[in-house]
Amino acid sequence: MHTNARPGEAPAAPAVAPAGAPRSGGEPTNPLRDDPTLRARLAHELRQIVGGAHVIDAPEELLAYEYDATIDRARPDLVALPASTEEVAAVLRACAAAGVPVVPRGSGTGLAGGALAVIGGVVVATARMTRIRELDAEERLAVVEPGVINLALQEAAAAHGLRYAPDPSSQRICSIGGNVGTNAGGPHTLAHGSTVNHVLGVELVLPDGRVTWLDGRQLDAPGIDLRALVVGSEGTLGIVTAACVRLLPQPEAVRTMLAVFDTVERASEAVSAIVGRGVIPVALEMLDAEIIRAVESQASLGYPLDAGAVLLVEVEGLAEQVEEDATAVLDALEGAGAREVRTAREEAERERLWEGRKAGIGALGALSPNFYLHDGVVPRTKLPEVMRGVLALSERYGFRCANIFHAGDGNLHPNIMFDELEPGASARVLELGGEILRLCVDVGGSITGEHGVGLEKRSYIEWIFDPPDLDAMAGVRAAFDPVAGEAWRFNPCKVLPVSHGCAQGHAAEAGAALRLAQAPGIYL
Amino acid sequence: MTGSSIPPAPTRADEARIAALRRALPAGRQRDPAGYPIEGRRPAVAFAPLDRDEVAAALAAADRGGLAVVPQAGRTALAMGAPLARYDVALDLSALDRVVEHEPADLTLTVEAGVTLGALAERLAAHGQQLPLDPPGGEAVSIGGLLATGRPGPWRGHLPGARDLLLGATVALPDGTLARSGGRVVKNVAGYDLHRLHTGALGAFGVIVEAAFKLVPLPERTATVACRCAQLPQAVEMAGTLRATPLAARGLALLGARAAVAAGLDPAPHVLVGLAGAERALARSEGELRRACRLAHVPHAEQLASEEPWALLGALAGPQPGGADGATSEDGGDGDVREASPGDASPSAGGDGTPIVLRGSLPVSRLGALVEEAEAAGFAAWAHVAAGSLLAVAPAGDGDADRARVAALRAICEEAGDALAIEAGPPALRASLGPTGLGPAGGESAGVALEVARELRRRFDPRATVNPGRWPGLDAATRKTR
Repeated sequence: MHTNARPGEAPAAPAVAPAGAPRSGGEPTNPLRDDPTLRARLAHELRQIVGGAHVIDAPEELLAYEYDATIDRARPDLVALPASTEEVAAVLRACAAAGVPVVPRGSGTGLAGGALAVIGGVVVATARMTRIRELDAEERLAVVEPGVINLALQEAAAAHGLRYAPDPSSQRICSIGGNVGTNAGGPHTLAHGSTVNHVLGVELVLPDGRVTWLDGRQLDAPGIDLRALVVGSEGTLGIVTAACVRLLPQPEAVRTMLAVFDTVERASEAVSAIVGRGVIPVALEMLDAEIIRAVESQASLGYPLDAGAVLLVEVEGLAEQVEEDATAVLDALEGAGAREVRTAREEAERERLWEGRKAGIGALGALSPNFYLHDGVVPRTKLPEVMRGVLALSERYGFRCANIFHAGDGNLHPNIMFDELEPGASARVLELGGEILRLCVDVGGSITGEHGVGLEKRSYIEWIFDPPDLDAMAGVRAAFDPVAGEAWRFNPCKVLPVSHGCAQGHAAEAGAALRLAQAPGIYL
Repeated sequence: MTGSSIPPAPTRADEARIAALRRALPAGRQRDPAGYPIEGRRPAVAFAPLDRDEVAAALAAADRGGLAVVPQAGRTALAMGAPLARYDVALDLSALDRVVEHEPADLTLTVEAGVTLGALAERLAAHGQQLPLDPPGGEAVSIGGLLATGRPGPWRGHLPGARDLLLGATVALPDGTLARSGGRVVKNVAGYDLHRLHTGALGAFGVIVEAAFKLVPLPERTATVACRCAQLPQAVEMAGTLRATPLAARGLALLGARAAVAAGLDPAPHVLVGLAGAERALARSEGELRRACRLAHVPHAEQLASEEPWALLGALAGPQPGGADGATSEDGGDGDVREASPGDASPSAGGDGTPIVLRGSLPVSRLGALVEEAEAAGFAAWAHVAAGSLLAVAPAGDGDADRARVAALRAICEEAGDALAIEAGPPALRASLGPTGLGPAGGESAGVALEVARELRRRFDPRATVNPGRWPGLDAATRKTR
């Protein structure tokens, strides 16, 4: 933000909870649940704002909004689909006046239950806000509304020889609003960083309906950086109604290589070997044998079926630099025991290699009735050790585990395959997932690299943060919604643990942690 | 406010509170307050804690006593923000100078706030790595100062900035607690990213005591090419051409004639290009540069023997000559109060003689015009094209004239929806114009953001203990509560 510096113009402070109020233990309520009159009145009010067709209150239609990409369900009382910033602001004002919970929602591809209306309330979906308000090729930026699909922005940028760097594997259906909410990553995060590195400014509607731009159109604009708090806040601080994003020029040259290894461990060691050569590829992805089998069973992309693991490595930049980097990568791969390294000779071949990566998780649906996709991070050098641990744990629990992940970032995505009809399986899968995350935390890692904490991991967050850390985070949340204070009304029961409020959501956590492959290619 | 003014002697009540503060830290942490002048004022007391727990203890004791604390280490950016409203305690963090963890193979680093960029660069270079940040002030800048001020350098836009490389941080809060956010791994979305909020916040939400960063490999070779142009429009066009040319660039600056002189170049507008990468990539880039110059009829392009122009520009926008008073650089003896330093109101400490340093954000297409305006107004002005930022430096002159010329430049930025920050200057200038102006979206919107920031300040530092007054409006609702 830019602080208003002119003396005497300071606006009045908002109504606030008294200083020194207890920092934890707030319990949100949902007055809609027991008050059909209030629900009807609010539905009417919201219709006045967004138009009759864009408020959903019929039970059969609400079904579509009771889940995201997790298996868990929670039915909202109402859904509103505003079409503009003004409508979002008016909707939030109405919800604030009624004192009801609000849950922001993008494309519903979230993997941590972040868009679930855990205690009901009003889901505010941004699907109608799909305008690219501006694309300035000269300034290399775009101002986009939250409902714009990631791939649509990529395509619009590509028309000008530019690109939007964050490319989660769900990019065909995930929205920029959701990407901003989770600080989404993707395969190219290794060199270009997560979403927060590409968002120059956001237009935010606060929980009480106030509207503000945070930061602007340049990198490192002077002032207090509230933008950086909002990116990755998982819809708990307000609703982003536009984002000004940075576009990068397309690189002059790209080289994509596929290295074949006998074991996951060998491939893991190769990751550090590459970085040890002083090269940071733009992408460095691992697919293990289970994933390769799944991918090849769906489409023949040329992945070797007898490999223990493959690494997909991409370098880009100036042609001469790419030559140098590719040579260093090749040396490192061979030195680390790669059985074979294939280099994509043409764009079509490169796209085929990437198709295996992007479709990998979806393809698992063919191998197992259910799977549970996890997201943890470890220091790169701990990959061999942690991967050994993941495989040993899976074996001990008696589940097959498929791994497809951002190896260069140390960002694991173990997929535990199971059949929910098998008695006790779901509970054991959850337990295994927890043990895998524990492994990540024990070597100095994190419980989530890109999917978010949401509902699923709000208990695990206590593994990596101490009470004073979480108190500070609770302070952030309260500052954006001073009226509700600690009784989180905005996306309640998400991110912060039960020690910081919303015990009601606790029961739902276990369920939210289980997920189902619902559609191919929407994950990561 | 004059350079030689000394605050009134402490009252007896103050002395009682200061005595309580002294008791909060082990003996031997006290320093001579004369070595820590800011804006012509000396603090009543100065401390140099040895670790994070001592920082937290000192902060809590000061907070209980209603004393204002100003954290500092490199003392390279003490004229940022509006003038301090109060200044009781200098908190010297330069003894927090440990590298907590450096795992070369992970390309990650965790360091304490007092480590300087210079010390770090040396250590990392031994492993062929770097923290690719080059703020004004260069090697003297401490990690805490780097983050608290959030000032980018020429590499920004070509390379990630401090906010992007920062993986996590620990801050000491005025209530005496230590709060951490982020982590030590290169990718992490757990919890709110408070570390990014602290970046550029001038301590408003806590005192940074430790930070973790992502590192990058050192380039194989670097080079700097200076293209001397006939006039500024030619330089602007040249910079535009080079921005669209494939180059192994880590810097692309448009220099007005005054800035060129400051950078040790001929008195003419220049385009300065910093190259970094593999030998072959640099050779190719140099060829591209020569070709572009030929096509644009740029009279002279010279590959320089050193990186000196960048360093000179960084020094110009950083601590001023004579500004480093040295009071914080020596090791403290056991229990002894340090030698008094004569450094009273040195330029780096933001007194009346402090040169004016401006940083503007602007669309790339308007940078040339702003360089021209700023140079015409007597500033040495240069733009970092990839980041859309402008730096302008001039000696302080007549107060009214300075105010007028800074306000005029700010108006140009605000008209384009962007901001112009005063990153250094005489206190009167900073007080009357404010450090950043209104910002991109105009009054009402900036007001809402300010409300949120003020609410954050109220929760993290309810008594405005750290750097009171630096952000106008932030402490309006949080006057001393004693």
